[in-house]
Amino acid sequence: MEIPYEVTARRDTGLYNAKIGVWLFLASEVMLFGGLFSAYVFLRVGTQPGIDNPWPMGLNVQILMAGFVNTLVLILSSVFVVFAWVALKERKWNVFRNWMIGVLACSALFMVIKAYEYNSKLTQHHDIKLLDNSILGGKILEGTDKIRFDADSVVVDFSGSAPGFMNQVESDENIEFKIETGENAGKTVKLSELRSWYHKEHVRMMREVADMRMKQRKGEWVDGTDKNPETKATLSAKPFRINANPRKIAGRDEETLNFRDRTVIKGKLVDDTIKMEVHSLNLQMVPLQDQENVMAWKLIHAATGGDEIKENVLAVRDEKVTYVRSHFPDGVIPVSVLQGPFINFRKIHDVPGGEAHGGDHHGEEPKAAHPGDHGSEESAEHGHGSHGDIVIEVPREQTSFVTNHGPRAGTYYAIYFTMTGLHGLHVVGGALVLAYFLLFGKRIFLKNPEHLANRVEVGGLFWHFVDLVWIFLFPIMYLM
Amino acid sequence: MATTPEELASHKKAYTAIGIALLVLTCVTVAFGFWHPFGPVMTWRDITLGLLIAIVKSSMVALIFMHLNHERGLIYKILLFTFCFFLGLMLLIFFAHADPIREAFDAIRNSLG
Repeated sequence: MEIPYEVTARRDTGLYNAKIGVWLFLASEVMLFGGLFSAYVFLRVGTQPGIDNPWPMGLNVQILMAGFVNTLVLILSSVFVVFAWVALKERKWNVFRNWMIGVLACSALFMVIKAYEYNSKLTQHHDIKLLDNSILGGKILEGTDKIRFDADSVVVDFSGSAPGFMNQVESDENIEFKIETGENAGKTVKLSELRSWYHKEHVRMMREVADMRMKQRKGEWVDGTDKNPETKATLSAKPFRINANPRKIAGRDEETLNFRDRTVIKGKLVDDTIKMEVHSLNLQMVPLQDQENVMAWKLIHAATGGDEIKENVLAVRDEKVTYVRSHFPDGVIPVSVLQGPFINFRKIHDVPGGEAHGGDHHGEEPKAAHPGDHGSEESAEHGHGSHGDIVIEVPREQTSFVTNHGPRAGTYYAIYFTMTGLHGLHVVGGALVLAYFLLFGKRIFLKNPEHLANRVEVGGLFWHFVDLVWIFLFPIMYLM
Repeated sequence: MATTPEELASHKKAYTAIGIALLVLTCVTVAFGFWHPFGPVMTWRDITLGLLIAIVKSSMVALIFMHLNHERGLIYKILLFTFCFFLGLMLLIFFAHADPIREAFDAIRNSLG
């Protein structure tokens, strides 16, 4: 069947149908991203200084070079798309093909860089917020964000959910648990079978509870004589190490680990100290007059044996305050600036003393801190990391929030991942459509080149829209 | 829409020029991000400037790459509606200023001293 108005324009609209279709689609896309941009402004304007986690300045927490290169890559791809369309108008298939390969290469490069950025945020960069609201930024050393615990017995609660500790056992060995209580006392169950055993027992318990209730309803239940359903079982084993994810833990003491799924593990706490390579210190949530006494200094002192970094960070802060004050005619600094990152956020390597511990930073010269200097983006976010940075040890009880730079780190990161993730999906979708034209368009081109030109124009319109969204995303996420 | 070889050649020149302009303006945006022209710290003036550059860049993309400089009336009508709704979405931020929860935050802040 011939579909009308694929190539020729309708008389009433003056356009071929696909073009009206794509513009209507783009209108809905404008509303989608418009809603998200509006949400961004809401969240940013609504951030309460001193209460909410501070809204970071993009320059301080993003890999600027990655965002910058991605912007250039998307602009180039937009240029390539229009040239591909022109090539079709000139009826030059080979030229079209080359430009289109360029577009797809750009989209692939964009996604690779984006994946690198995401990976960096999720695995290489962390924040530890201490109880006094000072925030240490850096990289938590592998494994030290877990609660290390030597266990020898487990109490499983069948009314909870399947015990999650099984995935957090350090040993590869298939540990054998001996059931200590209930009808199955004396039997053994291996770690690998624990989940299926739990589910069986869970079903058994549910049945017994149902029977009990039925008996109670009929008046056949005799308290003290009839046996209550077993809702728990105690298992013992040779001591084994658990590296517990603190987010799964409801509470702990030196001898007990209470999981949120109601499993209780007995044994001995080995270590619950987080080790972190410190890259930055954020005192935005601490009043200026209290900044000399924050807990972070004690931790840094314990790691370095001196107060040089503290003194220098505070000296740089005072310099910045003086510098900022000189720019306000009456010498009064607005609260938003006084609590802002310019005065209160410091990269450790940018202050004298901080670089002394930095060791080899790919041959970078230590930077002298001076007002107006944002320092090296890569040195903090990108992190030349494990090159002799100061490694501090933070007891977990001194922390109020430990996180990577994923969406849970704060509203900024949440909206960053939402918007850039959705944009990334659009890049993938657009690239797939354009790749289809490249791979399967030759047949249409040979039959009616104008038809393919129209299709590429429509695909190109979407691609330009994706570029257009990024033009706004880049400055608001990476620079402001 | 361009059909003659001359028109297409002229379009290619325009696309190249706009591409270069976009690359240059991206560099300018980054430079302004580092060097705030309106003072020591980033203020609403710097943010406005950054967004103005973004608007100029996006206008170039829309007008030249997306051919909105010579499009049919129907497309403009669709976009006019879109713009009105988009503006509505952006104006929602004023609710943030009228939001009474701010008072609750102030109370918390005062209690924290």
